[in-house]
Amino acid sequence: MAAVTDVFDNREAWAAHFAAGWLAYYQQTGETKWDLYEHPRNRTAVGRAGITLSQSRLLFISSAGAYLPDQQPPYDAPNPLGDYDIRLIPSSTPLDQIAYAHTHYDHAAVDADPQVLMPLRHLEALVREKKIGALTENMISFMGYQPDVIRVLDETIPPILRAAKEQQADAALLVPS
Amino acid sequence: MGLIARALELEGIATTLTSWNAGRTRILMPPRATFTRLKRGATLGRPGDVVQQRRILEATLALLAQDAPLAPVLLDEQDE
Repeated sequence: MAAVTDVFDNREAWAAHFAAGWLAYYQQTGETKWDLYEHPRNRTAVGRAGITLSQSRLLFISSAGAYLPDQQPPYDAPNPLGDYDIRLIPSSTPLDQIAYAHTHYDHAAVDADPQVLMPLRHLEALVREKKIGALTENMISFMGYQPDVIRVLDETIPPILRAAKEQQADAALLVPS
Repeated sequence: MGLIARALELEGIATTLTSWNAGRTRILMPPRATFTRLKRGATLGRPGDVVQQRRILEATLALLAQDAPLAPVLLDEQDE
């Protein structure tokens, strides 16, 4: 039985399956074959006590591929192997200053109304209404096409944990695209 | 996102998420989650529908008050 302290309690078996299947096929052919891909799953639940949101600092995390085009490079969205880096974006950034580098979803909705993926103004309103104590100074962004779960564990999650602590987050809201 | 939520939670940061993709998300066993029947690329609701977006956001944030792990909550939210 896996320990309940595991982020991913099936790591070794998943890594072996990925290396021998999806990744090996890609390396041999340059093509992705999704019926060889095993979606990750856990067998154990984790959790901590609830918090009082009105007295907490909330960190927003998005996998929509958001970045600041005037200051940051875009994600390597076309790369079949994915992009595992993160960007920090000030939570107060005007939504029209944010661009999206992610080729795995239709951008029509986020182009029409960024708050369908990036609810920064809604979250600010909830702070004004005293339902959220505060937002962290920065939000965390990454591009959610990341087929290699081991790279997520080893390359994406550690900087997210460091940034969350630096931002003094008490709680986090995660919104995938 | 489910793995990131678990990692944050294990570091003492309470998490909640919402997803239109219950099938892929549920099996990662995130600590707290709401699921909808919305579309990829519009996770928090229809463009311009502030009422729906706020409803989903507040329902998802409300889970933070509860101890985790929680069973995921299915929201009756659709694209149409």
